[in-house]
Amino acid sequence: MIARAVTFWLSGLVAHRLDVEAHLHRGVPSFVVVGLADRAVQEARERVRSGIGSAEYEFPSSRLTLNLAPARERKQGSGFDLAIALAVLAASGQAPGERVARVAAAAELGLDGRLRPVGGALAIAEAAGRVGLDGLLVAPENAAEARLPGAVPVLPARDLRHAVAILEGRAEPVEVGDPAVAPRSPVPDLADVHGQAGARRAVEIAAAGGHNLLMIGPPGSGKTLLARRLPGLLPPPTISEEIEITRIHSAAGLLPAGVRISERPFRAPHHSASVAALVGGAALRPGEVTLAHRGVLLLDELPEFTRPALEALRLPLEDGEVLISRAAGAVRMPARCLVVAAMNPCPCGHLGDGAVECRCSIPRMTAYRMRISGPLLDRFDLRIEVPRAAAHGDPGESTTAVGPRVAAARELLAAVGSHHLPEAEALLQRATETRLLSGRGAARARRVAATVAALSGRDQVEADDVAEALSYRMELR
Amino acid sequence: MSASEDELRVACAGARSELDPGGVARKFGCARLLRSSPAELARLGVPAPLATELRRSDAAGAATWADELRSRDIECLTASAPGYPPRLAELADPPLAVFVAGSRLDLLAPEGPSVAIVGSRRGADAARRLAHDLAAGAAAAGVTVVSGLALGVDAAAHEGALAAGGPTLAVLGTGPDVAYPRTNACLFNRVREAGLLVSEYPPGTPPAPWRFPARNRLIAALADATLVVEAAERSGALITADMALDLGRDVLAVPGWPGVSVARGTNALIKAGAGVVEDVTDLLAWLGIDAPRAAAAASDDDPMLAELGRSPAYADELAARLGMTPGAVAAALARLEIDGRLARDVHGRWVPATPGG
Repeated sequence: MIARAVTFWLSGLVAHRLDVEAHLHRGVPSFVVVGLADRAVQEARERVRSGIGSAEYEFPSSRLTLNLAPARERKQGSGFDLAIALAVLAASGQAPGERVARVAAAAELGLDGRLRPVGGALAIAEAAGRVGLDGLLVAPENAAEARLPGAVPVLPARDLRHAVAILEGRAEPVEVGDPAVAPRSPVPDLADVHGQAGARRAVEIAAAGGHNLLMIGPPGSGKTLLARRLPGLLPPPTISEEIEITRIHSAAGLLPAGVRISERPFRAPHHSASVAALVGGAALRPGEVTLAHRGVLLLDELPEFTRPALEALRLPLEDGEVLISRAAGAVRMPARCLVVAAMNPCPCGHLGDGAVECRCSIPRMTAYRMRISGPLLDRFDLRIEVPRAAAHGDPGESTTAVGPRVAAARELLAAVGSHHLPEAEALLQRATETRLLSGRGAARARRVAATVAALSGRDQVEADDVAEALSYRMELR
Repeated sequence: MSASEDELRVACAGARSELDPGGVARKFGCARLLRSSPAELARLGVPAPLATELRRSDAAGAATWADELRSRDIECLTASAPGYPPRLAELADPPLAVFVAGSRLDLLAPEGPSVAIVGSRRGADAARRLAHDLAAGAAAAGVTVVSGLALGVDAAAHEGALAAGGPTLAVLGTGPDVAYPRTNACLFNRVREAGLLVSEYPPGTPPAPWRFPARNRLIAALADATLVVEAAERSGALITADMALDLGRDVLAVPGWPGVSVARGTNALIKAGAGVVEDVTDLLAWLGIDAPRAAAAASDDDPMLAELGRSPAYADELAARLGMTPGAVAAALARLEIDGRLARDVHGRWVPATPGG
């Protein structure tokens, strides 16, 4: 007898349908899984065998073949346990076969038959709705997240026996409240940064226009302090952005149970991070650029990142998405994040520092700067110098004062766009002639100028806006 | 056998053995080196590879070698040859031969005055800018600008002279066909085309740390005056200044703010009696050329330039002093920078660019 259950496997952030076919036939009792299953799936056999036993069902004592279709895809993960168990039970007549084939199941099975949560429940629920299934059986911990997109009836079950009872219509799913909002981490306030008026202004522009920002300055000048205050200046994410963020964190297994994320992510990978950790790829899981989607990615000590890692960041920075190709397949993941990078002016950090003399040799200094390639540098619309601040700098405006300005500017930019006055165009033209501003550089300066204008509540870009934009294009000397 | 033929044979032997024959040649004379037995040469302390080449050399071979260099547009001028710059002969240890490449052989003994402009390799934006402008101003007045084609101030001086279409001469610490540092390769070619490259090392000689201080004595000797734009306490530029002093040439320096590390060298020179140079007019006056001082009023019409003229400042300090918003200061600075009226000093602070450079 053949039975079929439906589940999903994750490739990047997208869930794909996976049919689990179970075939019972005469022969020496055995349990074989075919269909390019990875080790975790192979191990599912033992969990399913114990789970079925603990739920006081009978594990069939005949020859059992399990096929994971489509067979050509290499599948990984432990979220297929419930579907496998249901297929086995349906094949042996212990569960309703038609319902099993119409209701997806995504949960790991404990040895005691309990259901455990899986990663990517949000993406799986969306996919289940897309392929038109009747419902989705999940562990109670996954329920809130799976209900977020509202794509499919979500049926939380405690254990295998409860799941079968729900399918048979003998029991109600577990009652689960609305998804709790992840506790907001305290946002550091911009008022903590004393002095640095120019750098604060640049941070405000970065937040308003979504411009990538590179800060160059000696250690202790407040670069990191400023960068950490950038997420607080961004408006809260919209509902659809919240779902995107939650989907990513869920797929990466970083989402606490029964929670949705309602704040913009802030990621600060260490400079020893590998290419796979930064842009994703290890087992097709999202990397830091994707985890920072709709939020802020801080790259502190930018030149200390490995050259391959820096080059791998170029495309995501330009396109707002990552394409990862591996033997296991190619996946696209969103990576629309605001990048803030910080670096010292030279390896010892003291070049141009009034207090300490720089001791770097010229070749070392050149090598340090050369790590940031021209094309990568081009991706930073705002490049500013952050000198060591005077100790007595005044506390500036707080996040609550600057935030609304940023939000207003964003609205203005999104709603009306902007147009450049002739004087603004003329200045831009002159700058391209005298300062070797590249075509791309000019286009970026134009965008920054529009943001500067929007921060003053204007959709007309004046020459002064262009001049200010040009001042944020510092060259690495 | 003429003296210059002997010198050419010794220079050729030096090039072939990759050893500098200058020391022993000055001490014992070329004729004696060429006519001594191997045992005698060893007794004089001539290194064995050089001694072998000396024994092997002959006038015809040396002439062929010189012709071969000439075919590569490199001229070998030995101490008694007609084109050898007389100024080098004033040195206590003149090079046995100099190798020159470029179009302007006349720059070795120019009709007009010449000035060496040297300074820190890691010169700040403002120092390089000043070196550039001073060199351009001097070159426009017909002064030959001599420097060492190093990074920073040296390169800026050559650039300035070339930009003004004036004569410039570079003294190298490598062979006359070796562009070092590589980042200056483009400038190297431009100086060869429009000026002159000079080296006491035969073609192909790679860079070595001891050759650069030695090269500085040629820079000092080939110029009427040496101007140090920016130098820390122990800087190659100060070696050049010492050499110039030994030769009885004028030493000039650009003053710096007290306590700034890269101004210590130049300020020490001024304390020791060096001439103070703040602009092209000062420089030309030291060289005996009267030039009207550029109108200094240019910096006063702009309140920001006037403020920076009082003391250099970061953008934030400027905003605080003038009571402007950071955005307005950034915009104003960018405009002034595009107009070439601002530069950054060694700390990255803004300073007015030298007027009338």
